[in-house]
Amino acid sequence: MHRPLTPDQQRYGLTAQLGHWLTVLLLCAAFPVGFYMVELALSPTKLKLFSYHKWIGVTVFALVLLRLLWRRWNPPPPPPAMAPWAVRTAQITHRLLYLLLLVVPLSGWLMSSAKGFQTVYFGRLPIPDLLGKDPALGAALETVHWMLNKMLLGLVALHVAAALKHHFVDRDAVLRRMLPSLRRSTPLPSADGAR
Amino acid sequence: MSRITLRRILRSLVLVLPLLVLGHNAEAAPRTVDYGASQISFSVKQMGVAVDGRFTRYTASIDLDEAQAEQSQARIEVDISSLDTGTPEADAIAIDTPWLNASAFPKAVFESTAVRALGPNRYQAEGQLTIRGNTRPISVPFTSTTLPDGRLRASGEFTLHRTDFGIGGGEWNKDDLVADAVRVRFNLVLGNAE
Repeated sequence: MHRPLTPDQQRYGLTAQLGHWLTVLLLCAAFPVGFYMVELALSPTKLKLFSYHKWIGVTVFALVLLRLLWRRWNPPPPPPAMAPWAVRTAQITHRLLYLLLLVVPLSGWLMSSAKGFQTVYFGRLPIPDLLGKDPALGAALETVHWMLNKMLLGLVALHVAAALKHHFVDRDAVLRRMLPSLRRSTPLPSADGAR
Repeated sequence: MSRITLRRILRSLVLVLPLLVLGHNAEAAPRTVDYGASQISFSVKQMGVAVDGRFTRYTASIDLDEAQAEQSQARIEVDISSLDTGTPEADAIAIDTPWLNASAFPKAVFESTAVRALGPNRYQAEGQLTIRGNTRPISVPFTSTTLPDGRLRASGEFTLHRTDFGIGGGEWNKDDLVADAVRVRFNLVLGNAE
C-alpha cells in the first residue's frame, strides 16, 4: 500500500511535470531515430531522420534550459525520507541527467558543424556553426556524441529503475511526485484510507 | 612626296601590319588558368541545410579582354566525377544516375555566346550551359580584379534550377527535401595570354 504524500512530499508542480514528461517523450523519439538513422545508407529517409533527430536535440536542449530556470524559482519538493546515501545518489544522478541532457545535444551540434552540415531548426532557423568543417574533428566528435549518449542511456535506465523500485518495492511516493494528481487537492489515499 | 618615301612607308606598313594583327591575336588567345588558385563550387539546400561542394577538375579556356569586353570568350568544361562535398557518401549520390549521371554525361560545359561590360570591372556573360545532356541559356554576371602580381581574377555566381537540367528525381524531389535552386560560384585566376 502506498504511503500518503506528507506535506513535505508534495508533488512537482504541473510545469515541472510537463517539462519532465515532454523530455521523456522527446528522448523516446531521439534515441531510436538516432540509432536507426546511422545504420542507413544515404537516402531521402536518412536525410529526413537526421534533420528530425537534430531538431529534437535542439528542442531537448532548450527545454532542459527552461526546466533548470524554472527549477531555480520553483524549487522541487524536498527529497522523501530515505537513507542519506540514497538521497545523495539521487541528487548526483539528477544533476548528471541535466548535464547530459545539455551536453549531448551540444556534442551533436558541434559534430554536425565539424562534418559540414549546419543545424537548421525546423529547416528554417539556422543555428550558427561554432566549428568549421573539419572531417577529423567531426569523426572525433562522433565518438564523443556516441559515448555521451551511452552514458545518458545508462543514467536514464538507472533513473527509471530507481523510480520503479521506489514505487513497487519501497512503495513510497517518489514516483507519484512526478505524476499529476487525478483529483484536485485530494491527498493520495493513505494505506488506512484505502481500506 | 617622292617615290622613295612612299615605298618606304608602304614597306614599313607591310612590316608593321602583320605585327599589329599578330599582336592583337596574341592578346585574344586564352589566358592561362591557375587551377590551384581557382575554384568552381556550388551550394544546395537540403531541408534548409546548405550542402557545399566543388569540382576539382575542369578546364577553362578564357579570353577576357578588359578593354573590349565583347571580344571576350569563355568555354569551361567541368569533369562531373570530380565533384567533392567532403562527404564521400554524398558525392556518390550526386554523381549517380538520378542526379548528375556522370557515367552517361561526364562533362558539364559552359560556352559563352556574348560578353558585355556592365561597368568598371563588371561584366555579364550570356551563354549555353549543358549539364546532364540538357542545354539551357544562362546569364552569368562576374567581376574582374587585378591581383597584386598582375594576374586577373574573374569571379561571380549564378543560380541554376537543377530540375531544368533533369538533375535529381524520384523520391529525392518529394517534400522539398532538396531545393531546386543551386548556387554556383566561380573564382578563376587568370594569367596573361600565352
